Amino acid sequence: MRIIIETPQPDDEDVVIVRCASPDQRLITMLLAYQNANTELTGYLDDKIVRLNYQDVYYFEANESRVFAYCCSEVYEIKYKLYELEEMYTPLDFVRCSKSMIVNMEKIEYLSPLFSGKLEAHLKNGEKIVISRQYVHNLKIRLGIEEVDS
Amino acid sequence: MMKEFLISLLHYFVDITTAVLIAAAIYLTASGKQIDSAVLWQILLSGFITALPSAVLICLDTKTEKLSWILWILHFCVIYGVTLVLLHAFGWCRITPLSALLTFFAVVFIYLFTCMVHYLIDKKHTTLMNEQLRKRYLRAEQEQKESV
Repeated sequence: MRIIIETPQPDDEDVVIVRCASPDQRLITMLLAYQNANTELTGYLDDKIVRLNYQDVYYFEANESRVFAYCCSEVYEIKYKLYELEEMYTPLDFVRCSKSMIVNMEKIEYLSPLFSGKLEAHLKNGEKIVISRQYVHNLKIRLGIEEVDS
Repeated sequence: MMKEFLISLLHYFVDITTAVLIAAAIYLTASGKQIDSAVLWQILLSGFITALPSAVLICLDTKTEKLSWILWILHFCVIYGVTLVLLHAFGWCRITPLSALLTFFAVVFIYLFTCMVHYLIDKKHTTLMNEQLRKRYLRAEQEQKESV
């Protein structure tokens, strides 16, 4: 299947047109997830309440039943469970990288192996996070190296 | 999780058995001894038994680096202990301070060999993944330029 992205006219709104013989369940699920995806989040930092765009988030981390969104240099608390964030943001290029972490793939600068069988993701803000061995497969699928298990 | 465990078990079994065979070949060549065919089965069995804790360790998702190091040290001690027990059980040698020390070096060699093999495989995979990441960024940049 080819993917064609065209730039609309200046006054036109963005439209997604799918041209196919019969849309399968995977395609419908993907489109619905994209349409319903919440691109904004509410972040809490001390007394401040901030509207966060998902594109600014480097990764989400769960720590002692609290979930935090790590941006370039700030860390905000998020009132969602990690699995909820995973459901919401997996269609938007986020991937689970350990039991307690979901990373924004757009923020990964490069990957390097560790002796323990894990991978280290070097993020664009200079931070390093560990990708557990059991989640490396997910990342490979997202990068198109491995296929989804049937 | 189960699939991950079985794959790791198979990989470690192959790697450890290969390393043990190399160590045995070096020892037999140096000492000029002959071995019984039963020893080959014992090597396979010892490879499988020592691969078990390795596969379990790989499936554990440690949160901190400190805990990860503790688990690896514990894993090494388990492997070393199991190897000593197997040496005694198979009658390969008597447990003396010298044989325990030689076993320690053999286990270190096998440990480093296995870690190195896995590291090189992971390195190959990460190179491929980094290429894919680079392609994504190039594509995104191109799309951005086209939209401007």
